[in-house]
Amino acid sequence: MKKSLWVMLVAGSLMALVGCSNKPSAEELQQLEALKAEVASLERQISTLDSERASLMRAIADKDAKLNQCTQDKTLVEQRLKAMQ
Amino acid sequence: MNWNKRLFIHVMLVCALAATALAQEMTKEEWQKQMQELTAKRDELKNRMATLQSEVDNLKRQDSDKAAALKKCEDELMAMVGATAASMAAYEAELNRIDEKLNELARLSNQELWNRKKELDDVQSAITNAKKNKMSALPKYYDRLANQQSRLDALRKSLEGMTMTYTVGTWSKDRDCLWNIAKKPTIYDNAFLWPKIWQGNRDQIKNPDIIRPGQKLKIPPKAELTAEEKSAARRYWQNKQAAAVPNNP
Repeated sequence: MKKSLWVMLVAGSLMALVGCSNKPSAEELQQLEALKAEVASLERQISTLDSERASLMRAIADKDAKLNQCTQDKTLVEQRLKAMQ
Repeated sequence: MNWNKRLFIHVMLVCALAATALAQEMTKEEWQKQMQELTAKRDELKNRMATLQSEVDNLKRQDSDKAAALKKCEDELMAMVGATAASMAAYEAELNRIDEKLNELARLSNQELWNRKKELDDVQSAITNAKKNKMSALPKYYDRLANQQSRLDALRKSLEGMTMTYTVGTWSKDRDCLWNIAKKPTIYDNAFLWPKIWQGNRDQIKNPDIIRPGQKLKIPPKAELTAEEKSAARRYWQNKQAAAVPNNP
């Protein structure tokens, strides 16, 4: 008798303790997961944009160098053509 | 063990399990905290992405402008030398031919090169023609032509000071005289350079009309006649003319 009383007491206390704790609902947990996924997706997009920016900057630097070379070539060709005449 | 003790152990076990279960599950406060942190992070990332996207768009515009400017510059450069894609391809093919010929000649021994020295002149005239083309002013061709010219000059230099010999054959079989020897493609390919052979062999040729079969003649490198050689030739013709005039009785 005494034993069953103890068991009931302890079980009841535990149920009350667990049941009455302040937990987020399933919907709220889903909201949290969605937010995490959105953040991860944004991080991936930013990484892609970072790569694209770096690649564009390299391409622009390359074109700048070529343009500079072309301008120098034009001056040189002009001088050589004059010398040929 | 009495039942009180066993009960105590069971209670402790159950409490431990319950505590673990509670610790693993998120509380409302924790959920709110995480939501706040993630929302702030998402907003920050969205701002960063907008800035980055705008930078990328700007860079794309710059890249496109630079490409257009580069094309314009290259077109202007081509127009300056009157080049088209087809004429450039033909010009490049000609330069390739010169390179191939130079490679071929560079592989020869000096003796073989001497025998084919007329080909050096052909290469020189190909280079000279290529230099006359306006496209030669373009840096990539200008430097290449300069390199070809210096390779050709090096080949010519390797023949400098080299003495070639020619063994005189018989008149009946080879028709060898200084004129005909100088005319041979492997010698000078120019009969008028015969005085060069004469003057180069003064020790063994007193009279240029007389050379003997088996005589080994030194062949000086091909070049314009020197003043001395021209003068010797003039004297020869004057003597010949004087000898042809009948003596007065």
